[in-house]
Amino acid sequence: MSAAFLWALVTLGFAAVVVRRRSLGITLMGAQSILLGLHAIGDTHDVPLAIAILVGRGVVLPLALLAVVRGTRERRRVSSELLALPRLVIAVGAVAAGAALVPSVGLIDPGAERAAIALLVLGIVIAAVRQAVVFQVVGFLVAENGVYLAGLAVSGGVPGAIELALLFDLVAVLAVAAAFGTKIHEHFGTSDTNLLRGLRD
Amino acid sequence: MTEALVIATLALPVCAAGLLALRLPPAAARRLNTACALAVAGAAAALAIVELSQIGTPVAGRWYAIDPAGAVFLLVIAAVGLMSALASPAYLSASVQSFFKGARARAAYYAALYLFWAALLAVAVADNLAVAWLLIEATTAASALLVAFSGRPNALEAGWKYLVLTTLGLAVALLGIIALYAELAGGHGHGALATLDWHSIHRLAAGLDERPALLALVLIIGGLAAKVGWSPVHNWLPDAHSEAPPPVSALLSAALLPTVMLVAWRAQVALEPGTGGAGSGLLLAFGLGSLAVAVPFLWRELPLKRLLAYSSLEHMGILAIGMGFAHPLATAGVLLHVGGHALAKSLGFYATIPLLRRDPELGRRPAHGLFAISPAGATAITVSLISLGGLPPSPLFFSELLILLGGLAAGQTVVVVVAAALLALGFLGLAQSTIEGVVSDVRATGAARAGGRRMSLLTGAVSIALLALSAGIYVLPDSRLVTQVMGAVL
Repeated sequence: MSAAFLWALVTLGFAAVVVRRRSLGITLMGAQSILLGLHAIGDTHDVPLAIAILVGRGVVLPLALLAVVRGTRERRRVSSELLALPRLVIAVGAVAAGAALVPSVGLIDPGAERAAIALLVLGIVIAAVRQAVVFQVVGFLVAENGVYLAGLAVSGGVPGAIELALLFDLVAVLAVAAAFGTKIHEHFGTSDTNLLRGLRD
Repeated sequence: MTEALVIATLALPVCAAGLLALRLPPAAARRLNTACALAVAGAAAALAIVELSQIGTPVAGRWYAIDPAGAVFLLVIAAVGLMSALASPAYLSASVQSFFKGARARAAYYAALYLFWAALLAVAVADNLAVAWLLIEATTAASALLVAFSGRPNALEAGWKYLVLTTLGLAVALLGIIALYAELAGGHGHGALATLDWHSIHRLAAGLDERPALLALVLIIGGLAAKVGWSPVHNWLPDAHSEAPPPVSALLSAALLPTVMLVAWRAQVALEPGTGGAGSGLLLAFGLGSLAVAVPFLWRELPLKRLLAYSSLEHMGILAIGMGFAHPLATAGVLLHVGGHALAKSLGFYATIPLLRRDPELGRRPAHGLFAISPAGATAITVSLISLGGLPPSPLFFSELLILLGGLAAGQTVVVVVAAALLALGFLGLAQSTIEGVVSDVRATGAARAGGRRMSLLTGAVSIALLALSAGIYVLPDSRLVTQVMGAVL
């Protein structure tokens, strides 16, 4: 995998940490999925499966999330969130820590391996520092893109049945997350998860 | 014949979910639910009994395998699923608010419950690490909706936290599975799913380099830990267990957590030839950490369901320690503990149904004077807490004893001493909660005494089952069941 391709994936992940608009965050994650899908199509013997996964991850999931955004309009910026710069600093720190601390997982392409771990870490960071429901889902999908990249870096690829079942699982989880997003917005008039703080011991 | 039974076990709950998703009148839904629950539990129990009756010859097909450990877990999932399904109408008849609107609520509840149950049953018979992972991920979608079923803000918080934390944890586990696959396939994967069959992993693990194998195991077990609710990734557990409908809390605590732990256990055992004893160390660390985090909460004045949730954290810790000791005595203890915990914990959650119906504030405040609210519910809670605390003749006393003896025999004296001290503190905490919450202020009213017959019957049945399980201390050590589980959790 070329360095430019891997850098593009990671840069899109960083961008999702800092952008303000939810729709832009979804578009960035969707672009990341499409890049991964295109690479998979060029690298596999099972082109129909790769196309199905590209359409699922790069088109269907982002469109479903955009539908959630349309149904849960925010009047103003989610106020409980950190500003973009501190978010970026946290993301850079976490990715650097991940690169320094996580040993090699043994994939044949060390660059892809580092990028996969960076995306996984970025996904977790997005879910932790962004407070809007949709951004937390974007975080989860960025992390999944990292795992998908790791799968692409395995010689011969991971079993197709697994990729397909994983896509099905993703759709199911996303459907549930979308239901939650709508319900939370219905209750609080915003999708700010920082308002969900009633449970403490 | 066996394959038909496996198909029935997995297909029946899915069909039940489809049927119950239709908007049936309450009485028809209740009758159909009873019939479906009995059919699903019957098929699963029959399958488990087929395996347990011919220990030494695992029941296996092209896409499934039922070993002795899987059979024990299958029995537990069948029993807890049955009780939860049968307890659900009582909960639904009293619930006034829901995540779902109007008449859809009941149908959505049953559909999600049966899909959740189906995924749990499938995990126990999955012959493949990747398939088991997918099924665990599938449990998340169904159970998150159930956790938030009441639709209250706290339930939404609990469900959302559960969804986000466990899905991110499972993403980490998936990275571990892919790393493991890359190592096992040795650059010649060619998309062979069978590479991740439990037996294949075990067979190929001896040829792996220790470092990448260990890293894969750390990622897999560390990721699954978020779903088991092991400390330090347990944040969702007390919230989800306390906010979910009681029948769902029982299924989460008594079936989901141990079942995911079974997958972690299988992964540890399968990779042992490549990782040495490091996997055991990892389980011991998660176990001790979970015990240490749970025990202080057992001393605090908490709402009942939250207390039961922290007790789940404690018991998942004990199970992890038992699995980590990797000694026949400890393994016997683990099997006994899974069954005893399932019965005692389920009873505790079901008991909250009449209690919460009479006093909804019990969901928010520490319990006091439960006898005055519902003698039958309070009796059930007492049996549950005493059993969970490990007071003899509770099977959990014997299982914990077996686990600690297994640890001593395995040469893990320090871990045993620390675990024994924490267990003693946990017991005292639960005993204090029982006395404060249940036994104090026993002025029951006539009205409160009425209507507790079903709960009394359930308490009696579970008490007898718990006593019967206690006999496991005589039967399990040195049994063929334990030998087989030790030889192959796969």
